[in-house]
Amino acid sequence: MSTKEESRGTLSSTDFGVAASAFILNWNTICSSFPQWTWVLSHHQVEGYLSLENILLSSTQEEHGELSFPGPGKHSHQEDPIDVDDATLVHINPCKVHYYDLHIIYCNSYRVPVLYFRAYDNDGEPLECDEIEKDLPAYSKKALSDSKWTFITQEEHPYLNRPWYKLHPCGTSEWMKLLFHADDDALAKTGVAIELYLVAWLSVVGLVVGLRIPFEMMKQL
Amino acid sequence: MASESIVVFAQFQSAVDEGFWHRFSSLKLNKLGIDDSPIPITGFYAPCSHPQVSNHLTLLAESLPSESNEQSSTAATSGGNRNRCPVPGILYNTNTIESFHALDKKSLLKAEAKKIWDDIHTGKAVEDSAVLSRFLLISFADLKKWTFHYWFAFPALVLDPPATLVDLRRASQYFSLEEAKSVSAACNEWRNSSLTADVPFFLVCVDPNSLATVKHIKDWETCQSDGNKLLFGFYDPCHLPNNPGWPLRNFLALISVRWNLKSVRFLCYRENRGFADLGLSLVGEALITVPQGRAAKTGNGLGWRDHQCLPNAVGWEQNKGRQVSRCISLAKSMDPTRLAISAADLNLKLMRWRALPSLNLNALSSMKCLLLGAGTLGCQVARMLMAWGVRKITLVDNGRVAMSNPLRQSLYTLDDCLNGGEYKATAAVKSLGRIFPAVDAEGVVMAIPMPGHPVPSQEEDNVLEDCRRLHDLVDSHDAVFLLTDTRESRWLPTLLCANTNKITITAALGFDSFLVMRHGAGPFSSNDERQRLGCYFCSDVVAPIDSTANRTLDQQCTVTRPGLAPIASALAVELLVGILHHPQGIFADGELANSSNSGSCEQPLGVLPHQIRGSLSQFSQMTLVGQSSNSCTACSSTNIRKEEWNLSSKQSIILPI
Repeated sequence: MSTKEESRGTLSSTDFGVAASAFILNWNTICSSFPQWTWVLSHHQVEGYLSLENILLSSTQEEHGELSFPGPGKHSHQEDPIDVDDATLVHINPCKVHYYDLHIIYCNSYRVPVLYFRAYDNDGEPLECDEIEKDLPAYSKKALSDSKWTFITQEEHPYLNRPWYKLHPCGTSEWMKLLFHADDDALAKTGVAIELYLVAWLSVVGLVVGLRIPFEMMKQL
Repeated sequence: MASESIVVFAQFQSAVDEGFWHRFSSLKLNKLGIDDSPIPITGFYAPCSHPQVSNHLTLLAESLPSESNEQSSTAATSGGNRNRCPVPGILYNTNTIESFHALDKKSLLKAEAKKIWDDIHTGKAVEDSAVLSRFLLISFADLKKWTFHYWFAFPALVLDPPATLVDLRRASQYFSLEEAKSVSAACNEWRNSSLTADVPFFLVCVDPNSLATVKHIKDWETCQSDGNKLLFGFYDPCHLPNNPGWPLRNFLALISVRWNLKSVRFLCYRENRGFADLGLSLVGEALITVPQGRAAKTGNGLGWRDHQCLPNAVGWEQNKGRQVSRCISLAKSMDPTRLAISAADLNLKLMRWRALPSLNLNALSSMKCLLLGAGTLGCQVARMLMAWGVRKITLVDNGRVAMSNPLRQSLYTLDDCLNGGEYKATAAVKSLGRIFPAVDAEGVVMAIPMPGHPVPSQEEDNVLEDCRRLHDLVDSHDAVFLLTDTRESRWLPTLLCANTNKITITAALGFDSFLVMRHGAGPFSSNDERQRLGCYFCSDVVAPIDSTANRTLDQQCTVTRPGLAPIASALAVELLVGILHHPQGIFADGELANSSNSGSCEQPLGVLPHQIRGSLSQFSQMTLVGQSSNSCTACSSTNIRKEEWNLSSKQSIILPI
């Protein structure tokens, strides 16, 4: 990574690829019991992004039954009785379960990685921002409201063409600059700035969505 | 002592990813149209990986066949991996909600059950065991409302009499420590190999030395040696400690038919964090008795081995204990209008977040703007207002779109000029809707009554009606833009606005110069004697007269340098936004640019001038302040008091003086 980029807190797209490979290796080794990150190639097979999907969160929120009924407030259709036998157990999950998907995608215009995320329940129904906030741990909620660098917006996912939430990248280079400048000499000696870029970046960004980087990974910074 | 209870299987649960509906909608819109033939799809599932939550049979965008391929008659099973065992399924999508409810669920279930039955008898299920978990999905995709009604069925062949449960316990309690270690290792190997990771049914052989091997079920014959423990293993999506998962139902059917076993020892394989978890997994023993019912009827004694005797099937998914279909609404993420709205809001919110924290987006989106004139100025002002988040816009113009208009009037295209030309007000509204569907735009085709213009007697009533309409329009809006092409057409609106103290912005063009100004507050707006800012007419000494008669052609059509209108319109809208954010609003004093007045630095949007005059020939612009005149023909209190509000007074001004 050029020192010019480094001083601006940004990185090139090739460097992003390098950083991502190092990150996956690192994470999957150190945190083997955690869900694993994977590298997904876009359909053009040229660009790729990091993906961590199906993170399960048991929510304390109450189950609400409206979703199950046919159509919002319309006809109450009289269904024919369907055969059910005694050998069938119908079980309902005791608590509402929320699933989260996280993608880390490189942004060409800002030259930084961007965290995209979405949340949904068992029925596949996407969760709203306020419902997501209820799931977040207290330190995340604080980070979101306090920091002038965290701004969640909903925008079209660059590859999947559906709206996902993302942390707006326009502040990223500013605080990445701070992180890297803090240890200029050390980094210059070891020369592993690129490999550590994503760990450093995720250690800040992850806080906002309640994703904690395991301590073993942080030690390297 | 083992209790003689029947095996109760936990029903399979479905989960449809949003991406599936997106992809299906696109397939329906682009390729299928009203074709409602059944579509082969692929479901994905994996063994349970969480002690408190069961896994689901999932549908993803990849579950649907690729749009570019021809329709394949065989089930399209896309590639799987250890987390995604592919399972064939079929989708019946109807074109109306009525036909959705009218589908014959019994026979559809029976048809799919028959496929499983056939696969068992032909041996296909032994080769490709995933077909045992074949499923059915019926749906109605409402692509106007972006809601999806759907219902899954997981066909299970019913054992009659049902299988009885001899024993069911945790696998860790069944195996010895040595055996457990070996079984875990063998299972993990099976799960890690790309050849077998997505094969959901398998055999576990444990030899007398506690060495376990996992084999493909077609290798059943090779496991037949004394002293070997043989278990029929399957990926169990269910997490419950007392119930095996649904896939076991058809697995038992297969075992009974192909190998005629009466006692079956099975392994409900479950995982934790990617590895075999024998504490979560279950081992049980089931007893299958030769089904009597059908065999008794046919009397051939073969029972289930008779391919012709299709057993009953169950499997429609219960929805929170009720036998109803499910419905999901994805309007927020699929409806283009909603997406446009949230994108527009995003832009403004970004502005507020990054640069202008005091931006009052609510005030902008709730403001109602009246635009008098839908020409070069009107079109640009309307667009700029929308860009600032204003949603309610009314345009007044009695003209039709002429062939020369589209070049300078940014809401019109050639189509609007054909057949004599659409009314501008109507065309403008349509155009705004095409740019931003959520705009609340209204067009009024009406002439603005002007002083000094002769009115034929038969038109008197119409003109009076127009006066009344104009009065009502001004009354029902918050801000008025005077964007017409003559001086005198601005007179009555100015008077009406002054009377009701509405924010009024005037833009006027010369050949290469422009004026953009905000009118001061109305004469009755406040009790104090402070000097009001002037209106458009305050600096005039003569009454507005007919300026269009007796002039040459080029004087009648306003000929201006094209760059002027966009500049003036933009300034007019920015001026309005400035007023909205000024604590004194319409009463704000006129400020000058580059002034040393400390007050101007406090406003986040900058100075708020009274008048801006610009010249293209100089590429210059200056700000001015003008006070109101007591003898103004438009906004002075004496004049307005004279008008009162009855129409006979109107007559005296409007009709030939």
